[in-house]
Amino acid sequence: MIAARRAGRSALIAGVLTSTLVLAACGSTADTSGGTEGAGGVATDFGVTDTTITLGIMGDTSGVFKNLGAGLNAGNQLWADDVNAAGGICGRQIEIETVDHGYKADVAKTLYPQLEPNVLGMVQLLGSPVLAALEPNLIEDNMLAAPASWSSEVLDNPGIMMIGTTYDLEIVNGLAYLQQQGLLADGDTIGHIYIDGEYGGNGLKGSKYYAEQHGITINEAKVTSTDNDLTGIVTGMRGAGVKLIVLTTTPGQTASALAANQALGLNVPVLGNNPTFDPALLQTPAAGALGNLYVSASNAPFSSSNPKAVEVTTAYKEAYPDLPRNAGITTGYTEGLVWQNVLEAACEAGDLTRAGVKTALGTLTSVDTEGLVDVLDYSSPGAPPTRGVYIAQVDANAEGGLTEVAPLFTSPEAESYKAPFQQG
Amino acid sequence: MSETMTPPAAPPQAPPAGAARPGRNWLKIVATAVLVVVLLLLPVLVGNSGVAYLKLAQYILIGVVGGIGLTLLVGQAGQLSLAHPFFLLVGAVGYAVLSGDPEESDDLVGLGLPPLVGVIGAVALCGLIGLAFAPVAGRLRGIYLGVASLSLVFLGLWLGQSLDMFSGGTSSGRNAPVFELFGFEFANSQPAPTIAGVAIQKQQRLWYLFLAFALGSYFLARGAVNSRIGRSWRAVRDNEAAATAMGVHVTRVKAGAFVISSAFAGLAGVMTALWLDLVKPDENEFTGTYSLTVAIAFLAIVIIGGLGSVPGAVIGAVLVFGLQQFFLLGSQQFGWFADAQFGGFSAVVVSAFVYGGAIVLVVLFEPGGMAAIGRRLLGRRRSPDVPATADGDRTTPREDR
Repeated sequence: MIAARRAGRSALIAGVLTSTLVLAACGSTADTSGGTEGAGGVATDFGVTDTTITLGIMGDTSGVFKNLGAGLNAGNQLWADDVNAAGGICGRQIEIETVDHGYKADVAKTLYPQLEPNVLGMVQLLGSPVLAALEPNLIEDNMLAAPASWSSEVLDNPGIMMIGTTYDLEIVNGLAYLQQQGLLADGDTIGHIYIDGEYGGNGLKGSKYYAEQHGITINEAKVTSTDNDLTGIVTGMRGAGVKLIVLTTTPGQTASALAANQALGLNVPVLGNNPTFDPALLQTPAAGALGNLYVSASNAPFSSSNPKAVEVTTAYKEAYPDLPRNAGITTGYTEGLVWQNVLEAACEAGDLTRAGVKTALGTLTSVDTEGLVDVLDYSSPGAPPTRGVYIAQVDANAEGGLTEVAPLFTSPEAESYKAPFQQG
Repeated sequence: MSETMTPPAAPPQAPPAGAARPGRNWLKIVATAVLVVVLLLLPVLVGNSGVAYLKLAQYILIGVVGGIGLTLLVGQAGQLSLAHPFFLLVGAVGYAVLSGDPEESDDLVGLGLPPLVGVIGAVALCGLIGLAFAPVAGRLRGIYLGVASLSLVFLGLWLGQSLDMFSGGTSSGRNAPVFELFGFEFANSQPAPTIAGVAIQKQQRLWYLFLAFALGSYFLARGAVNSRIGRSWRAVRDNEAAATAMGVHVTRVKAGAFVISSAFAGLAGVMTALWLDLVKPDENEFTGTYSLTVAIAFLAIVIIGGLGSVPGAVIGAVLVFGLQQFFLLGSQQFGWFADAQFGGFSAVVVSAFVYGGAIVLVVLFEPGGMAAIGRRLLGRRRSPDVPATADGDRTTPREDR
């Protein structure tokens, strides 16, 4: 039913897109006509000079996701430093302009017009409420953005460059992995605690799909992101005889659910996806109860032995010795790597305009991030670019608090899953 | 902007209304005119590159309209209400439902009425819901009413999440219908009219629309305050028994104040939807567009501005709604607080301190708020040919606190 609504919005987006293309309109602030010739015979319009390419970050370093946000920003910056040290892209150095919206849609809405004319695209746009509020602007300005928000519901906008897989697929893969490990059987009952909103709703889509495939019953519990005590819900789930609990919640809620899971003697495995875990939880009273948590995420955990991940985290520890260590760092770096592929393809085609960059994205069928995330394919709009995840388990001794227990893998259920805007 | 020194309630031998009033402050009239001209020319002043500042100015106007509504209720009629964000939500959703495109999707209700009808309908709807709350408002006072009205915010959170055929749901929300007036769309168009070389596109058009809303609200509120309605509000606020003896129908006046305040909040809600291009209910009750945080922000506007003062609410809105984002824009443009990379004194933190500090200072040193300070400044600048009235130098609340 939501799909139908979003289909309406997709039609609107398509209409707006075609009209902007027809009019060759360029945003709300300036009038250029399809770009100008820059150095090296490359067409440019926004954020690109003969010596620099400027990308934007709209992140959160003061709001609820400030730890993750700081990590993402640092990852983006590390990537830019590496690229610039290697001579840049298209003969130009990468510059990053950062704004902090504190996870508030209204602040982001004000800051966006100030940032927009200076940047070619967004290397990171954090937060689903922010993304929802800025979506009309991104379409209007023909802007390509890598969201730090992984809902498959936003893939109807071709200007959204998803880095890795989406929440629904993280859950599908996670459940498949746990079933392979013998922790779940067909016909079981599982609990799913989710935040009512884009993030939680999308995760629930994944567990519902998996449950359908395997005759599993889901005991759903809807929470708001500020409900910090989930003991009552977990108690109810114990009564329902759940064999496993799925979480798409905030890290604080994750801690509460795990503590209750242990205190009530339930001790079932708990599956969370990328945003459910923050290493800071290991410093809380709930630390002893976190061992049951499996995290399914499209990016390698901080402690991953993947050579590229090691390279990134080592550089991070040198550059920012006292900043928090979390999954944001590798994710931020990956966002940069994908942008690098896009920019190189656009340079190849001689078109570093916003429209050119978007076109270039559609030509990428196998972006290799050296295992930071699975190989990405951007050629089919509406479908997640990859379906593979890493599974990690909480480990107090590992840096970043997570240890990889399964290398990149894609379950058959994830292969057959149809995302809301997937065509064909 | 500051107070007109309106004469005290008319004594029997007062000149009939319409005769030239003594004490017209020409300086103030000129200043007001200049301010209005500046506001009208704002899109030209910020130019094509200053759209972010225009966006900020629009945002302040949302605070102005909502703040005026609340100051009438809290300051004039003496009823503490924390339900403002709820009426904002009703206004935003009402506008989206009344003017939404019926074809937009199968599971959203959209009646496809002209946007102007949608705005008026949404405002009227908020007034009606305010009226429905009146039986509660009529029976409770002070903090009890504040807590009771708080329940509406929670009700709004729940309704927004569960009635997604109207609200669009918390996941994706729904599009805010583009405002149009007699075929003129408040959206980007090619070609766009220009004023002094500045293209009048969507944001500039919205600015003028918001300015019209805000000026209309301002003068309506001033009119209400300086008329019989305002007097009955203040009578009820100051002493219900005395008001009853004077022939004021207390419950009716209380209900009326709630209706009017809710209607203002509804208009602010419509403006919020247009400003965000999105109608999306909150995911929780503490942070978001229609949350407790917003209820507190509106209360802060009213307290800083001075309870019951309409111009004070304008100043309060500039401080509370404008400061944080102004600091943020400044930190981008001029590199303020640049060393606050991760934590520390960032723009967000500084603005929170400033407006928290402003509330403390107002409560401690100037309970009349900005309005009283303005009155003091202007009281010294009265035209000399006007004899000062007995209470010419008062800084305590009189007509409009």
